[in-house]
Amino acid sequence: MTLSLVLQALFAGVTNGIVYALVGMGLSAIFKGSRVINAMQGEFAVIGAMTTVLLLTKTGWPYAAAIAGGAVAGALVGAFIEVAFVRYMAKKNASEDSFLLLTIGLALTLSASVLFFIGRDGHLLPPLGGEGVLIILDAVIQFHALWLIAIGIGATLALRAFYHRTTIGLSMMAASIDADGAATTGINVARMRTFTFVLGGLLGALGGILVTPLIGVDYQLGLNLTLKGFAAAVLGGLTNPLGAAVGGLTLGLVESLAIIGISSSYKDVVAFSVLIIIMILMPQGILGRAGRRGG
Amino acid sequence: MNPRTLLWLATGLVVWAVLPFIVPRYMADLLVFTGIYTVAGLGIGLLLGHCGIVNLAQATFYGLGAYASAYCTVMMGLPSVVGFLVGAVISMALAYVIGRPILRLTGYFLALGTLALSAIASALFFEWDWLTGGTLGIGGIPKLDLFGFLLDRPSRYYFFVWIVAFACMAVARNLVDSRTGLMLRAMRDSSTAAAALSVDLQALRTRVFVVCALFGSLAGSLFAHHASFVSTQSFTVDRSISFLLIPVIGGATSIPGIVVGALFVTFLPELLSKLGDIHQILFGLALVAVVVLMPEGLVGAFGKLRTRLAKRGSGHG
Repeated sequence: MTLSLVLQALFAGVTNGIVYALVGMGLSAIFKGSRVINAMQGEFAVIGAMTTVLLLTKTGWPYAAAIAGGAVAGALVGAFIEVAFVRYMAKKNASEDSFLLLTIGLALTLSASVLFFIGRDGHLLPPLGGEGVLIILDAVIQFHALWLIAIGIGATLALRAFYHRTTIGLSMMAASIDADGAATTGINVARMRTFTFVLGGLLGALGGILVTPLIGVDYQLGLNLTLKGFAAAVLGGLTNPLGAAVGGLTLGLVESLAIIGISSSYKDVVAFSVLIIIMILMPQGILGRAGRRGG
Repeated sequence: MNPRTLLWLATGLVVWAVLPFIVPRYMADLLVFTGIYTVAGLGIGLLLGHCGIVNLAQATFYGLGAYASAYCTVMMGLPSVVGFLVGAVISMALAYVIGRPILRLTGYFLALGTLALSAIASALFFEWDWLTGGTLGIGGIPKLDLFGFLLDRPSRYYFFVWIVAFACMAVARNLVDSRTGLMLRAMRDSSTAAAALSVDLQALRTRVFVVCALFGSLAGSLFAHHASFVSTQSFTVDRSISFLLIPVIGGATSIPGIVVGALFVTFLPELLSKLGDIHQILFGLALVAVVVLMPEGLVGAFGKLRTRLAKRGSGHG
């Protein structure tokens, strides 16, 4: 095991970890705001990435505008799902399981729609910052990965600022901690839940757009990202979107360091085993803060 | 049992017995699958309806049963009954060992824990190609031979599969009606109260999980002998999800509901596929519609409709 191999693995781990973190932060934001585990979080990534691909290739939008379009598409689908399904089911006091099944059904539908309307082929996006690479101690690092890491960190900090500094963010937090209390102070709780889904869709789409230049996007990408994002969110304590950032990084690093020792095809086995073990041994997540079920 | 129920039962039995002979061959084939899925779905129904546990790992046990049958008969040349037994023993042992720790989780965490389990198993089925044949799979699994009577046609295998399915239904019914069933209901409705009455929740949930795994493995072995070929594609996370749909669509607490659910997941995609490639989207939408509009499943919705009609009828009469 050489130093450059370890460095390469560390870098791959951080890159993947940021993607898991973005998907996980979206999942966690939705859970925090609505108590719904969104089993179609990975589909937001597919929607964002596919929309960007289509805008870029079919309509010839500039890359930056296409990325923005993809992110907005994720946010809109998020809003639609809350307004069309979650709101109705919440009114009928649907159980935890029903929400899970709803999102599983939506994930199947969306994945099948991508297969039907766009096809089975994978699509790539051009890397940000061009095709160039950086070589440190023989470890090859794509410029795109550097962009991905920078944008991921930026998004995490922005999310933190959003929850702590803006009126909407604070209202969303209030609505999730005590819905009745928030309603008393004049917060529109139902609208905050819609915003929660918008935020979840936005973060998921961003994750999908950023990972597409590295691994491509196809109709099957969603489920895997959902699982990894959920693992990231659980590691971080589930109700804490910023914890999901730490969880995602941890997961990415564990995965890529583990496969130095064993075959790379065991990557998912390692990741999901870690998920199960952490859930059993550390029910509060690795940060161990504020109960995962509480606000 | 009153004469009317008896009449219904007799009619049902006759329809069941002649069905494979009057429908086209591909439908007889689907009916075999309905039977296999009923067996797999029964276990998930027990967990969901009586323990409130969402099990997204059934494809794991289904796969274990199928590979045990395939490996024992094709690679080792053993009689098929050995495959059934090996699959069942391995599945139950694995369910016990994994169940003890994992069933401490609740709600979403348990659901996603089992989903992760299914993802791990599906990756391992793929990687351990010395055992499973990987994507190439294992072919040439012999048809079952019942005392010299070869079950080589769907119309013959149909009866075997459904008799196994009825036996599993009887086991499930017994479990629900027994003392264990009462404890299960107590646990589902108020786990704290049940624990206070000295019900060992952990052991109870593990026991039902083991029964569920046994059914899954049986279904897998039945599948292997029907398809003659098993490969990793049949035991993915998607399959676990479609197994979960069986009790969800039909209604988890009712045993006929499981059959309805199994019919739904085998026949609906087939019928929709006549409409072309759009059928997967329609299937997803049908699932969403069932979850949103009929939270108690088709059987529950039907029951509600009947009570409403009966009320209206008596009101007018």
